Amino acid sequence: MAGAVLTPAPWRLITDTALWSENWPGVPRPARGEIRARFTTCALCPAGCAVRARCVGEQPVLLTGVSGGLCPFGLSAHHLPYHPARLRKGPVAEATAAVAGKAGQGIAVLDLNPGRTASWSYRRAMGAMKGAYLTPQAEPFAYDLSAARTVLSIGTPLLDGWGTPSKVNAARPNFRLIQAEAMESRTAMLAEQWIPIAPGSESAFAKSIPQLEAARELSLVLGEGPEIAEINQRIGAFGKTVFGRSEAVVPETWTREAAAVTAFADVPDHSIAVLLIDETPATSYIPWHRIEQKLVRDNPVVVTFAAHRGGYARHAQFALPTAMYPEVLDDVAPAADAIRPVFRLAAPLVATPTGVVSLAEFVGTLSGVPVANVLRERADAIHHAGQGTLHTYADRQRTAVKELTADAFWKGLNEGGEWTWEDAKPRAAVMNRAEVRPVEPVESPADLPLVAISEPHYAGLVSPLLTKLYQESNLLLAPNRIALHPKDARDAGVVDGGRAMLQTRLGKCAVEVTVDAAVPAGAVQVGSAPGIQDVCGHAARAKVVSV
Amino acid sequence: MKLRGPIVFLAGVLVALGAGWAGFPRLIYQTRRQPVDFSHQVHAEKAGAKCEDCHAYRADGSFAGVPALDKCSGCHTAAMGSTVAEKNFIDQYVTPQREPEWLVYARQPENVYFSHITHTKRGNLKCEQCHGNQGASNSLPPYQQDRISGYSRDIWGHAGRPAMTMDACVACHRQSHLEHSCLDCHK
Ligand code: SF4
Repeated sequence: MAGAVLTPAPWRLITDTALWSENWPGVPRPARGEIRARFTTCALCPAGCAVRARCVGEQPVLLTGVSGGLCPFGLSAHHLPYHPARLRKGPVAEATAAVAGKAGQGIAVLDLNPGRTASWSYRRAMGAMKGAYLTPQAEPFAYDLSAARTVLSIGTPLLDGWGTPSKVNAARPNFRLIQAEAMESRTAMLAEQWIPIAPGSESAFAKSIPQLEAARELSLVLGEGPEIAEINQRIGAFGKTVFGRSEAVVPETWTREAAAVTAFADVPDHSIAVLLIDETPATSYIPWHRIEQKLVRDNPVVVTFAAHRGGYARHAQFALPTAMYPEVLDDVAPAADAIRPVFRLAAPLVATPTGVVSLAEFVGTLSGVPVANVLRERADAIHHAGQGTLHTYADRQRTAVKELTADAFWKGLNEGGEWTWEDAKPRAAVMNRAEVRPVEPVESPADLPLVAISEPHYAGLVSPLLTKLYQESNLLLAPNRIALHPKDARDAGVVDGGRAMLQTRLGKCAVEVTVDAAVPAGAVQVGSAPGIQDVCGHAARAKVVSV
Repeated sequence: MKLRGPIVFLAGVLVALGAGWAGFPRLIYQTRRQPVDFSHQVHAEKAGAKCEDCHAYRADGSFAGVPALDKCSGCHTAAMGSTVAEKNFIDQYVTPQREPEWLVYARQPENVYFSHITHTKRGNLKCEQCHGNQGASNSLPPYQQDRISGYSRDIWGHAGRPAMTMDACVACHRQSHLEHSCLDCHK
């Protein structure tokens, strides 16, 4: 033994065993093969960043931006097909039978990422079935930051995942940003002025805008509240910085067949017998109690089409697995700052897994509306209109659509390209009725001493690597975490890194705790996990209990 | 008889040392032959080839590694010379258009990302600093494959470094004050 340790044998064996274990079955291994670049569009959020994928053989191993960066979610998106929380199979036949069994009763599709070609398939199918097509907001606005000089943002993460990063960055030097927010968020840190407001007082602050010193200079107000549109109209932002969200042209027959867009809040309570939810990728989350309120009392059927188990799959009778970026061909909805029509395809970088279903095909089969070739039909309609240019990422060229054949246009889009119609006239903003927010019963500060501050929504899956990074670096609050001021943490008897129960009048949810002096006393910053959002309504009061 | 214990111990140590230094490498490494008896020296001297003529970078900066047969058959459409190695290369690979299955000394574990261009262009390293004087060698060194890990025993071409270990990379990075983070190499 003593002699052996003085030889290379044991040390070599230790190293070799470590190297050998890297090649065990189950350890992901990028294929060996030709190294090449492929181009696509990130479909994880409406920003739709241009992506250059370094592929070894057919396997993407590195995603980077084209003429700009990707956010950490986009950079690690090629890990998502292998995520352990992926939903891989589901009761498709049973769900189909349950939905068919309710034929003729109120059916609706809830689209949590409206503005895609799939959204039109849902609308057409609902049109044919006399159902409802529901979105979180009926008439989304589009904002032109390049025309803004002073922007007042009430808690909007303008510089942190809102809109298209390249457009926001290009416009940033030309506008002054005032951020009104309870916490000094990343956007607040980068703003010219941060106005700290009491947690939960966003609506009251919005109403006081006319009294602000900067009120006259404002060219745009951003925020979540129902009063924001009216304020923008009053300051004359409509037609200057606020427009209607534009969409690329669609085949004329689609518009005739399509059901109207209805805001989810406008649906009468207890009227939906069958609800089909598309949550891949969801750009917002409606807490489950609000969904439940719209369902018929007697045996409703809810089918969610999801890539993971963390969202509505926890509540729905049926959760069916869907493919997601970067494994499926899809288009990307226009972003909040798209004032002119745009059309981008997220071309798949890996093969679509077996056993997945798409809501478009599901409703297409139910309604008899053909949906198999809709992306090509839409690309042909755009090409036929002959407007705008195709920007191809690989060679960074812009080519007028008129100069391309329909096949070349389609090929360009599939190989990483973006169609834009730069000289289109922006659509006028339609003043929608103020969003009907359910009246929240008065919550007593005596029972629930803390006001919940929500993190920006990110419902999708994130790479396990990213999860590790943000849990260790504190750059983002992990979705399953809450953050508390040290004094409130002491009062609640919880410690940094410990576990606790977050309670609201809607229920309770197990969370992990971060103690952070940057959180105002009397508030609790809550992560964006659907479980937390389910128990935290808008500005809900909450209580943290140690477990 | 008092010395019996120490003698047995010493003998055991000597046997273990012998087995560890002499027997173990024979046991753990398997020597494999390259498919073609290739001379870098001939190519450098007679054809005037530089490293990057064959071990080229692609347009996007990624390293193409060992050249594909296409590159070789650009010159070797027919036998150039009368050596056995040349005849073997033409008959076995060029004529049937079969890619030689080169054994790559520098193959990295799957979890390592190594960028040649960063090292040669930004770090100004010469090929020889890592690969030894391969460019002047008349034959390829024996490929000794570790039976457990499957990797080559020597990637450095006897450039004065031990076999492939992370320590060797880290040592060089440390010298140049470039040991930034794990994620530089492990993606
Ligand atoms: S901002 Fe959105 S589109 Fe861009 S990389 Fe991130 S997730 Fe993808």
